[in-house]
Amino acid sequence: MFLSVGVRFEANVEALNMVETAGNYSKHRRVPYLVEEDGKLKTVYVPALSGENLAHAYQEHLAREALSLNLPVCDDCRRGEFYKSMNRVHLEKKVSPIPGEPAKIEEAIVKACVVEDVGGFLYAENPPVRRSSAFQVSYALPVKSMALFATSEPQLHARHAQMDSSSKKGNASEQMIYYVEIGTALYGFTFNLDLDAIGVSAITSEPILDENEIKARRDAAVKALFRMLSSAQFGAKLSRFFPVGGIKEVAVAVTEHPFVVTSPIYDDYILKTERRLKVLKDFGEDYLFTAATEDRVPEEALKETVEYLKQKGAL
Amino acid sequence: MIPLPFFLKATMRPAGIVAIRALPQSKMRIALRYVPPTTLIGAIAYPLLHIAGDRSETVYEEKTFRSSAGGVLELFDWVTVKTLGKPRIQGALLKINTIYRGNVQSAVTSFPFAVTYGTNDILITAVYLINEEALGRSSYTRKDIERAAWGITRLGSRESVVSVEDVETGRAEVAEAEMAKTAYAFPFNGVEVKGKGTLQSVVDWRSGIGDYSKAGRMVMFYPEESVEVRGRLRTIKVGEEVVVLAQ
Repeated sequence: MFLSVGVRFEANVEALNMVETAGNYSKHRRVPYLVEEDGKLKTVYVPALSGENLAHAYQEHLAREALSLNLPVCDDCRRGEFYKSMNRVHLEKKVSPIPGEPAKIEEAIVKACVVEDVGGFLYAENPPVRRSSAFQVSYALPVKSMALFATSEPQLHARHAQMDSSSKKGNASEQMIYYVEIGTALYGFTFNLDLDAIGVSAITSEPILDENEIKARRDAAVKALFRMLSSAQFGAKLSRFFPVGGIKEVAVAVTEHPFVVTSPIYDDYILKTERRLKVLKDFGEDYLFTAATEDRVPEEALKETVEYLKQKGAL
Repeated sequence: MIPLPFFLKATMRPAGIVAIRALPQSKMRIALRYVPPTTLIGAIAYPLLHIAGDRSETVYEEKTFRSSAGGVLELFDWVTVKTLGKPRIQGALLKINTIYRGNVQSAVTSFPFAVTYGTNDILITAVYLINEEALGRSSYTRKDIERAAWGITRLGSRESVVSVEDVETGRAEVAEAEMAKTAYAFPFNGVEVKGKGTLQSVVDWRSGIGDYSKAGRMVMFYPEESVEVRGRLRTIKVGEEVVVLAQ
């Protein structure tokens, strides 16, 4: 089964994805929005969230959900440090001595950690072993019809230091000013999850785990996504820049084989996705399409999705 | 009578960016502006293998590692792409922490990508010309390939999510010509071109995909809208459009 979710969320005054600091200035991630006028291209920079940012949040939720279901998560991933068995030092924490065959290495990693099973890894030693992530996330970008209203704005902050009267002038600064660039936009992103990849070898195509554990891991993978969306727990600086807004729309497609919802950055994404899905009937393929817009909360659509996956025996 | 080859035309809407690395990687991770043929093969291979229940990504043959996408390579006689709109390469500088020989250190890097996000929609249309002889020998049917085209999920790296908005199939007319008008990318070899476009060096997918360090390369011309090509051309007509093939 393949799950594809389009999400639209409003985030006002947010610092969900900071990229670099220049002196006392923390910059928000921005991407160019291409404006074509009389055949000439000009660009307007708008705030954005990288797919890596969202993927990190998802994997943190995945680690927590897996642990709550008594599924294995390695120490690095528990801490939210997703090194993913990148070298011998990290792999030896899971299996020692390290096997020589790629399939055995993959098996050891998958058995030891749900996050690396679902999120993939690259063991960059000899022999190299690669497992692609079972989930894919696009950038979160302002929806196109409102992109030009999206803003990035630096906010001034001051950190005060206690005066030290004994020290010479200039030794201790009374205050330090710094700027945090905040973004405001209605964002859209796409999240895909290939449930058939979980617990199955990317080398031999054979299941590495028994059916019950595979189903439990799929359950954790789906719950992690839904918790991330429902709780709006993604991105950085939530403790001081928790965005005003929330999830506005969700569209979910569940298909037997890969199929991606039209990106929510386009206004017609729900209608387009629904129409395109009808083509799958010609292939004799069952599917579920559910959406939450104005009169329906996202949780209702997500619940319907879980019920469908259970009915299909995927969970 | 020569049978007309079967073609698939998949029109894709990107989710804003397309990140395709020009390999082999160097310290500066260069991005490609347009989609190379190897990426098009990889993009359709993933759903195709999914349909067959094949979950493999890497094939290990002693010390040689290959992409599983190589297993479906012979199903295609030609692949090419048309890009409606002009993507722009963007790569902000980022500060990252790296671990080098046990020490954590700070470094500056960038991850450039092609931006397809703007007032005008950028559409990417891929054309796959199917080798029906190879298809007959394989476990796949024409219907499988068509379904796989609807199932393309991304072009290049994990963030380059696309949705397939339309799939057209049909029989292609093969012809020889001295002049053709095309919007699809073609090999820039012994031809004259009138019109705007970009030259891009890409891996010659016909020699295999997966290991690009020693792979042969070819120069492709990616037209901006439609261009006029002159030379000794071999072309195919896919619907109302013309695709220039390699000699």
